[in-house]
Amino acid sequence: MKIFDATLNQLERSLDVRLLRHNLLSANVANSDTPGFRPKDLDFTAAMASVENHTQNSATLQAVTTVPGQMDLGGVPIGSASPQDAQLSPKDLPVVDIPSNNASLDGNTVDLDRTMVAMAENALQYGASARAASRKLAILKYVVSDGN
Amino acid sequence: MRTEMDLAFAKINGLDGAERSIEQSPKSPNAAAFAGELDRAIGEVDKLQVEADQQAARVASGGGNLHEMALALEKADVGMRLAVRVRNKVVETYNEIMRMGV
Amino acid sequence: MGMDFLTALHVSGTALSAERVRVNLASSNLANAETTRDANGNMYRRLDPVFEAMPLGDASEISPNATGPMGVRVSRIVADSGEGRKVYSPGHPDADADGFVTFPDVNPVHEVVNLLSASRSYEANATALETLKQMAARGLDITR
Repeated sequence: MKIFDATLNQLERSLDVRLLRHNLLSANVANSDTPGFRPKDLDFTAAMASVENHTQNSATLQAVTTVPGQMDLGGVPIGSASPQDAQLSPKDLPVVDIPSNNASLDGNTVDLDRTMVAMAENALQYGASARAASRKLAILKYVVSDGN
Repeated sequence: MRTEMDLAFAKINGLDGAERSIEQSPKSPNAAAFAGELDRAIGEVDKLQVEADQQAARVASGGGNLHEMALALEKADVGMRLAVRVRNKVVETYNEIMRMGV
Repeated sequence: MGMDFLTALHVSGTALSAERVRVNLASSNLANAETTRDANGNMYRRLDPVFEAMPLGDASEISPNATGPMGVRVSRIVADSGEGRKVYSPGHPDADADGFVTFPDVNPVHEVVNLLSASRSYEANATALETLKQMAARGLDITR
């Protein structure tokens, strides 16, 4: 029986991508004084889209056939590995150099303030996705326990 | 149908039975009204789940509005709780009626 | 790899260490701006850290084109190898035959700016760490 729907999967993926973006931004902050360092970031919406494609491609390869008589509620079978189990790595995502006009004398182009703002926004959105996932699961839990 | 909805109602043989027998009983205009009302209520709850999912999907893909999503999720939660409560009550009542015999 | 909380923790951790080195060196330079003779009888030489990006994660990631998250480290500390500043001060105990004293080539203004900049970076990295902790808490809250 499948009970976890596509939206939950999407929320899970968004958490992964947000964490990855935090790592990138952290690296930029860490290297704000490193000579010649070029900061990197990823376009979240584009990254999610590319993860979506990645997932769907592997999902079609592992199509789950429905056994006659089994209830098909959509979603991923419990206990089976989800198609997107292949570890997401920065290599798979559109990570780009942040364009900049003002390099300091040593070639470093990290804009610390902008980076910190991006990091704050990213963390906020991460929290929102986590909340949404938590709520959806809470609804499921309530239903599964028959309201007890 | 949303998966939570399916889960809630697919498990309920009682409700299934209740609805069927009500629909089949002759000369009961109230039965049809009741079944219709039930359908409508289920539809409402379903809409709330769908809206919540859409809001969540929007935030997950990078856009969306955080407080809209939060409100939609809470409404879906409340709606589902109400539906489960109602379902439990209906099943309970149906069983009682069946026990009474006629 | 770049996917976990521990990596991000490590990234910020390396930055805090590196900036602390920078603060310590700037403090040392300031304190010794006038040190003409140390314990070995030599003039103090200004110390500067050299920062270098350090790829974290598995060894296969270490390449010039590594896309994984980068920490930072102080690759080496460079001692100033210059001549120092010569100041005419005949009465000074360390004056040479011509009455000149050689002071370390330390510009206090420069060092203070260094200190402030290092402090700012340290704060930013501490904030990054705090942000990560908050995210981790939110992530775990899913189980509540």
